[in-house]
Amino acid sequence: MNVHIKGLTSLPAAIFALLFSSLAAAAAQEEAPPYPPELAAQGEARFAAACGFCHGRDAAGGSRGHDLVRSELVADDDNGDLIAEVVRNGRPNTEMVAFSTSVVSADDLEAIVAFIHNQRHLFATLEGGRRSVLPEDVAIGDADAGEQYFDDHCTACHAANRDLAGIGSRMQGLQLMMRMLNPRADRRGPSPSAAMVTVTEANGQRISGALEYQDEFTIALTLPNGRYRSWQTTDVDVSIEDPLQAHVDQLDRYTDADMHNVLAYLLTLQ
Amino acid sequence: MNTKQSFLTALFACSMVTGTLMAQTRVDGDTLLNPAPDMWPTYHGDYSGQRHSPLDQITPENVDMLGLAWVFQSNQSQSIKGTPIMVDGILYVTATNQVWAVDARSGRQIWSYQYPENDGFHIGQRGVAIYGDLVYLTTPDAFLVALNRHTGTPVWQVEIADYERGYWSTNAPLLIDDHLIVGVSGDFDNLPGVLRSYHPETGELQWTFYSTLPSDLRNPNDPDSVFDEAMGGQMWMTGTYDPELNLLYVGTGNPTPVLNGNARPGDNKWTGSILAINPDSGELAWGYQINPHDTHDWDAAEVPVLIDAEFNGRQRKLLLQASRNGYFAVLDRVTGENLVATPFATLNWSLGEDNTGQPIPDPTKEPQQAGSLVAPDESGATNYRSPAFDPDSGLLIVSAADAYGLWFNKEAHGDYGWAGADYTVHSRGELRAIDYRTGDIAWRYDLFGGAGTAGVMTTSTGLAFTGDSSRNALALRASDGETLWHSAIGRVSNAPITYMLDGRQFIVLASGGTLYAFALPQRLIQ
Repeated sequence: MNVHIKGLTSLPAAIFALLFSSLAAAAAQEEAPPYPPELAAQGEARFAAACGFCHGRDAAGGSRGHDLVRSELVADDDNGDLIAEVVRNGRPNTEMVAFSTSVVSADDLEAIVAFIHNQRHLFATLEGGRRSVLPEDVAIGDADAGEQYFDDHCTACHAANRDLAGIGSRMQGLQLMMRMLNPRADRRGPSPSAAMVTVTEANGQRISGALEYQDEFTIALTLPNGRYRSWQTTDVDVSIEDPLQAHVDQLDRYTDADMHNVLAYLLTLQ
Repeated sequence: MNTKQSFLTALFACSMVTGTLMAQTRVDGDTLLNPAPDMWPTYHGDYSGQRHSPLDQITPENVDMLGLAWVFQSNQSQSIKGTPIMVDGILYVTATNQVWAVDARSGRQIWSYQYPENDGFHIGQRGVAIYGDLVYLTTPDAFLVALNRHTGTPVWQVEIADYERGYWSTNAPLLIDDHLIVGVSGDFDNLPGVLRSYHPETGELQWTFYSTLPSDLRNPNDPDSVFDEAMGGQMWMTGTYDPELNLLYVGTGNPTPVLNGNARPGDNKWTGSILAINPDSGELAWGYQINPHDTHDWDAAEVPVLIDAEFNGRQRKLLLQASRNGYFAVLDRVTGENLVATPFATLNWSLGEDNTGQPIPDPTKEPQQAGSLVAPDESGATNYRSPAFDPDSGLLIVSAADAYGLWFNKEAHGDYGWAGADYTVHSRGELRAIDYRTGDIAWRYDLFGGAGTAGVMTTSTGLAFTGDSSRNALALRASDGETLWHSAIGRVSNAPITYMLDGRQFIVLASGGTLYAFALPQRLIQ
């Protein structure tokens, strides 16, 4: 038997790991939840009021917020250290706003943390999931057809043996699907390429950098040395090249079958 | 009643009389028929929903002189999303559980009222209504609270719907004669769509209109009472009103379960619809379903804008709606007949329109186990942010977005509440000016970001006030979208209003928890 225990790369080892994780889940079912039920019940009410609209009243994902019971951040959270940071500061450029102590008091937050962790414990013991999107749900495409679509539409920027080599082992499921459709919609993976902007001043000098901010009146960029510069748009000529615009343009062209096929192809790039 | 109580009652009555004498305006249904220039007495400014002001002191020629007149800091982290109401020089501003009375001259707080903390959904608050000496607030736990508008003291409160069943309210009530029309939200549970009318003085319930009937009122022998299995269709936005026809117009929300259409085959009337309702009886006059069998949370709750204008050579009473599903529709508001139904933003879920002008949803674009890529996303091609109509150019100016979402539904998601999952893939906000005669886009303004949060207001001098998706309050020329003024106060979070005070025209809008008032410099004002 060819078992590489360290890397768990062989099939029997993978089966063993799978078996072990479901045994662990079964064991978890009998374990007590991590926080006192009274505190979690208090947290449930406060969570529903302040967070439930977006994250679902059961924290398993709602109308726009992420499923918190399967969140990596929640998994890594130690007694609210990571959760509190997100609650108090919000997440810039997302719909997650900051909640001050006037809206969510310190006691509320403590109870909410207890509720989220107990929900995570509860869901770990459930089969399936109510609003989950599992990797096997989205992996329904035809990889050959996906390769053809990829060759026709994506090779100006990407190559299977270059930047995308091994993508199917680095990412799966919903995350890969989101990243494929629009890298900026994937907030978990590595930061996608920034749009590049070139500003031409009245004296003809050209300055290029990563686009930092743009509206009708102001343009701002970060120079390769990390410094910030901004101008009034009336004083300069502005030219922007966004390598990710091709992803946005593609959204109007994909059929659902194309989308699933390309995803299936990316999953073969192990 | 003991002596002390009767003395206090008499004293209170006295002070009420004095208060009434001192206040110049008694706001009632008549006030709203023709609002004076020194007030913004109801959510949309008047009954039409046009958000078009007759004021003319600020013009395209002088708007670049606009400067900051005052700032009101609410000192809390919630955004002000609602429309302030202004009567007798006092602005009434809201956030969830909160009302502030603010001096419209100076931005100084006069009083504040905090509704007790509660476990209803805390999403936002769209604004108050006023009648006589009362100001009305709706709450996360679905109560309607009447406060004395001079002191902020609670006078009475009634439960609109049961928050424990999943209802909440952000609604700015609409006053029509002696009816206070109040809506609720609640699509995380399978609940009937409820709109209620209360007596504005007493809070007595006058009628309830159901857009989808409660199960105990469904009669299997009466096809009109049982359209299909859907619940939902909440009327969470403030409607509009035609006094000549005596009809209230209101848009209804999405059906429930939200993303699972298999659990509720059929059109799901009257969800996703524009309805005309008699405000005295609560009876339905007609309905037009702009969003049949919605499986994407798109509603049709957006403002039904009422205009009297020429259409195909004939003067008609029209209703315009730029709907969250991406369709722009024009109706004859006497009969509900559809005259125009055409997309104003990117959409890929429709197979076209039937012979009544009703869009035909593509079943393959319903949420799928493997995901379907659908435009628009959940936030929609537009949303609650109010549009404005400029009568001179015939343009409805709408905060629009081209957006895609990934939509999922499988058996394990069940048939209750949300019943699925969805994720925004891309969204780009753009202000669009729609010609009401054709639905053609006359001009566009890039909002530099995703879907906006600002509503729009136009004035008789041809200005449109709004905000972009990055950091700017804007004044554009309504006829062509040319920028005439801007101020980088931060992302505008509500719809602008305007009023005259001391001979000066004020523009008031919010960014985050702060209210900003702009006006021309005193020296420019004759």
